[in-house]
Amino acid sequence: MLVYSLKRFAQLFTTVLGVVTLVFFTMRMIPGDPISAIAGDNLSGEALDRMRSQMGLDAPLFVQYLNYLGHLATFDFGNTVTTKLPIIGLILGALPVTVSIAVGTIVLTVLISIPLGTLAAFTAHKGHRMLDNAITGVAMVLDLMPSFWTSLVCLLIFSLTLGWFPASGTVSIDDPAHLLRRIALPVLVLSMAQVATLARITRTSVLEVLSEDYVRTARSMGWSELRVLFRHALKNAALPIVTVIGLSFGNLLNGTVIVEFIFTLPGIGNLLVGGMNSRDYQMVQTLIVFYALIFVAINFATDLIYRVFDPRVQF
Amino acid sequence: MAHFSIPLPARRTVSIDLSRFNGIVRLLANRRVQLALMILVPILLLTTFRSVLPIAGPLETNLRAMTKAPSLEHLFGTDRMGRDIFSRTLAGIQISMFVGFAVALLSLIVGLVVGTLAGFFGGAIDRVMMTITDIFLAFPSLLLAIGLVSVMGTGMLPVVLAISLSDVPRFIRLQRSMALSLRSRAYIDAARTVKASHLWLMTRHIVPNTIASLLVAASIAAANAILVEAGLSFLGLGIMPPAPSLGNLIRDGQSYLEQAWWISTLPGAVILLIAISLHFLSDGIRQVLDPRSRK
Repeated sequence: MLVYSLKRFAQLFTTVLGVVTLVFFTMRMIPGDPISAIAGDNLSGEALDRMRSQMGLDAPLFVQYLNYLGHLATFDFGNTVTTKLPIIGLILGALPVTVSIAVGTIVLTVLISIPLGTLAAFTAHKGHRMLDNAITGVAMVLDLMPSFWTSLVCLLIFSLTLGWFPASGTVSIDDPAHLLRRIALPVLVLSMAQVATLARITRTSVLEVLSEDYVRTARSMGWSELRVLFRHALKNAALPIVTVIGLSFGNLLNGTVIVEFIFTLPGIGNLLVGGMNSRDYQMVQTLIVFYALIFVAINFATDLIYRVFDPRVQF
Repeated sequence: MAHFSIPLPARRTVSIDLSRFNGIVRLLANRRVQLALMILVPILLLTTFRSVLPIAGPLETNLRAMTKAPSLEHLFGTDRMGRDIFSRTLAGIQISMFVGFAVALLSLIVGLVVGTLAGFFGGAIDRVMMTITDIFLAFPSLLLAIGLVSVMGTGMLPVVLAISLSDVPRFIRLQRSMALSLRSRAYIDAARTVKASHLWLMTRHIVPNTIASLLVAASIAAANAILVEAGLSFLGLGIMPPAPSLGNLIRDGQSYLEQAWWISTLPGAVILLIAISLHFLSDGIRQVLDPRSRK
């Protein structure tokens, strides 16, 4: 186990290094250097040169790369171009909003899709295809709805027409009740997209378990269907479900960018879109690396959980 | 159903080998494919012949018909500049379809070539390719596309390249794993014993057996590319206005949601319809081409 974790960690480290390297050199391919982007046409050649040497941009590319790695290791991501604030501060400030959306979405998704998937599997197992087909069909449509469109439709129905949730307004982590009202719709929208995958995998794994010998044995012992379902079927189907939650995290991150933009929530997705629009490449670069790190870390954790809890997986 | 004999007056018979069209016939007989085509064909016909339809051009403004609700004259209504949303949607579908097709084709070709080489030869090529794909797969797809667009700029070509770059690693992985499992099959060994060249083995024995799965993946990639392009354009990072990409249409309507709900919602519903039919298509292709599901 320990050897496996270390090996997997080494692999993770290579990937992260690759990500950072890729982002660094890709960003340097942008025509014109960051200084001209900051200064525009206002500064003379001499002032530009001074700024370049201040920021270490006159050093050879490889030295710049090493400097960049050094800064990353100490979480120094530099300052934003427009407001001169440290980027890491902005990210940490915005992170709670994004994390609450992500966590809320995962909770709601699990609450909806596991009962739904189990129900579909159960009815399919009993030979009632109608309900099973209906659930599978609805799940597919939900899966394919573009989240920005769903957001607008929900905004139109629940905020503008029914007035249940505020469409805009400030968000603060110190006011949980208000925060909850503001992120309710985004969480609903993202869950709708996630439910499909999770319900589908729940259906498949529960259906598989339901035809196992030990489930038949449990039934033949006279236990109620519910007890068989919970004690045997769901328990054994849990592992693939957990794995899929981890694996669909990438989609979830994609979705947070969109909903934060539409519902004007000050999370890191909004920082990213803002950075793109103000051509703050330093910011964009940092955030892309940051997202990749989160994604890779979650995948790593999912893999480890899978291996710890599945006694069949050998090391 | 393989052979039909048609008697001809001169007492000769011409035999038509229908087995060559077997795949296409079975594909058209599949219910999911039929359903997909029932949606896709009318949409494609409408977009292709939109210039002869009695509707205003996608960029034509009409100050006497500003923010009109859907009616017979303007099926999807008009925006605040009096532009016909239906006409703009048709033009947008054309852009979306192009992006979807270009991304699917590009990913398919690169995935096929690189994946086959990596899977067939293994060793160092394989390890290097897998490390590179690992790096690309470390980014959530939309975020990778955003990052790449920030470097390459906005517009059609950068958007296609950015979306493809997040799909290509998945295609390489898929093709590689299939090539890897095929290369040790008995029939490949048999071909080797008669001195078949590497190129022959790859093109005659590996690719024909993997192309079906790649086509399934390609039609899903096309649907996905349409959604990502719309997402990018919606965020203002894709195809630039006034080009009426579907994402741009939805973005345009965002600020008028309360006064003119149709500007955003109707083009979005069309995206959904296209994505669903492409998924049906891929399901159908899979059912037909997967030998295990043949009856």
